[in-house]
Amino acid sequence: MRMKLKLKTVFLLYFVVSLLGLFYALMQLGQHCDCTDQLLLKDRTVSQLRRELQKLQEAFRKPSESEKLSKNPSLPTIYVVTPTYARLVQKAELTRLSLTLLHVPRLHWIVVEDSPQPTPLVRDLLAVSGLAYTHLHVPTPKDMKLQEKDPTWLKPRGVEQRNEAMRWLREMAAAAAVEQAVVYFADDDNTYSLKVFEEMRFTQRVSVWPVGLVGGMRYEGPVVENGKVVRFHTGWRPSRPFPIDMAGFAVSLRLVVAHPGARFDRSAQIGFLESSLLQGLVTMKELEPKADMCTKILVWHTRTEKPKIKREEIMQKQGMGSDLNVEV
Amino acid sequence: MPKRRDILAIVLIVLPWTLLITVWHQSAIAPLLAIRKDDGPEGRQDSGTAGDSKEYCSPDKDIVEVVRTEYVYTRPPPWSDVLPTIHVITPTYSRPVQKAELTRLANTFLHVPNLHWILVEDSQRRTPLVSRLLRETGLNYTHLNVETPRNYKLRGDTRDPRIPRGTMQRNLALRWLRETFSPNSSQPGIVYFADDDNTYSLELFEEMRSTRKVSVWPVAFVGGLRYESPKVNAAGKVYGWKTVFDPHRPFAIDMAGFAINLRLILFKPQAYFKLRGVKGGYQESSLLRELVTLNDLEPKAANCTKILVWHTRTEKPVLVNEGKKGFTDPNVEI
Repeated sequence: MRMKLKLKTVFLLYFVVSLLGLFYALMQLGQHCDCTDQLLLKDRTVSQLRRELQKLQEAFRKPSESEKLSKNPSLPTIYVVTPTYARLVQKAELTRLSLTLLHVPRLHWIVVEDSPQPTPLVRDLLAVSGLAYTHLHVPTPKDMKLQEKDPTWLKPRGVEQRNEAMRWLREMAAAAAVEQAVVYFADDDNTYSLKVFEEMRFTQRVSVWPVGLVGGMRYEGPVVENGKVVRFHTGWRPSRPFPIDMAGFAVSLRLVVAHPGARFDRSAQIGFLESSLLQGLVTMKELEPKADMCTKILVWHTRTEKPKIKREEIMQKQGMGSDLNVEV
Repeated sequence: MPKRRDILAIVLIVLPWTLLITVWHQSAIAPLLAIRKDDGPEGRQDSGTAGDSKEYCSPDKDIVEVVRTEYVYTRPPPWSDVLPTIHVITPTYSRPVQKAELTRLANTFLHVPNLHWILVEDSQRRTPLVSRLLRETGLNYTHLNVETPRNYKLRGDTRDPRIPRGTMQRNLALRWLRETFSPNSSQPGIVYFADDDNTYSLELFEEMRSTRKVSVWPVAFVGGLRYESPKVNAAGKVYGWKTVFDPHRPFAIDMAGFAINLRLILFKPQAYFKLRGVKGGYQESSLLRELVTLNDLEPKAANCTKILVWHTRTEKPVLVNEGKKGFTDPNVEI
């Protein structure tokens, strides 16, 4: 009897104790875990070690592609033609464009102002940019110019300026031997990745690639089959000879020089500006597809909002406008 | 009957031990799961935020690999041991122009020595687009994310409109800085809030590098003006704000118009951007008033007479031709 009782009690005790222990443990499960400190320490050590490893790896790493390229004198030059005009965001646009271009080796920036004479803003910006540049200017005739209230698609922009750049290039090429070089028309409000410049560098005639955020679509671009451009993927007027955006192609300098009459036609219909130049230079079959057979987006047709300066206008009427000597 | 009893007894003996062992096992791997998400709702410092602010060890059965922030100290630009590090905090969110904006921002940052980019996504988890972009730039970066809670009471997809955009993301970055750097460390740093659609000159970063407490400068295209600027007196002290929109705010300045010394951030760990109840234009003040007084501000950019940063905004692209089903290949990343 006694033995039995003892066992029963022991058993009961043991059962109760383990149950209590379990409850305690279960309560702990939902609680704040003070593991953050250990983790942070672990993370930090790991990152530190990774850093050291990276540094050591760098010591043995070969020079970068771009370092190799800028030292190579036989690397084709990229002539980037940017038409520009005075407006509030001009300095900002040119600044951030110049910061992108500054990374590209063997690049020559041709900035053409829509202006009867060069402006100090652009002149000074170019002087400190660190880039190799040419500063041109040609005013758009008054009747061809967009007025304040006009929608942006009403009249083509940058036509005279791009043509002027080509004139300068032909002049320069006549004076010196025509090296292998490529011409790219880069508007000042688009966004360019560094890769697009390397894609276009070895253009033989005209190379093409897709452009993001244009034509009312996520992107527009050539369709490539068997390494050749067969048609263009575009949502707007696909029957154009070259339904491609200004930022989506580059022309070899040799081709520009070989066709002295080739230019952008101001009287071309809307959307046909690019075709007006390209149809005199190349056929669709001859186009060189880039950007991984035109499957990667390396340039975007971004547009910058016009800043709202209503308060400025009110202040100016009251004679209390901001200091115009401060360049914006 | 005795047989049943025996079986019952054995079960009752074994059960608690099994459960105990399971619990012990869980607690051994729980620390690894404790910080599964980098976000964690910002609850502690800000008042009135809904949601649980505790981090807890989730008792998940499967062991999830925890990928936290990554330090990637790869070159360009060359790292100097002497220059203070500029920690640039950029909140970002998915939209068609995101990749373009971040690309040209990265192209700017690649010129600045000792720059550490803290990119905070407004998302549930870090997106592949941003992860890949950051990796390929070669910049020194930290990739974080926290999702601004949606207010389901309004329309399904709107974020809580009472929380100004980017606030939770900037606060997360501040918290990360406080968790990563100790106030006693001698690593000098400057904190700058750079939105992904503004335009920055290189000179700006060199101006802010010498910040002792909080430095300020003019910003173009804000407040309905060509530029807004602090007012600086002959003694080189800031005494007011040259703005039209509410110039009597404690700090009538745009997010892009000031930089804070990291030490100040670390010494005042309670200072964050206020999440709710902030009037338009008072966001910056909600942080700065906890850190500094008007008298302590250091004017830069030639005593606030030069424009080194522009509050540009990018147009929303018109994607009419995509139609309802989408015309372009969605696998092509833009």
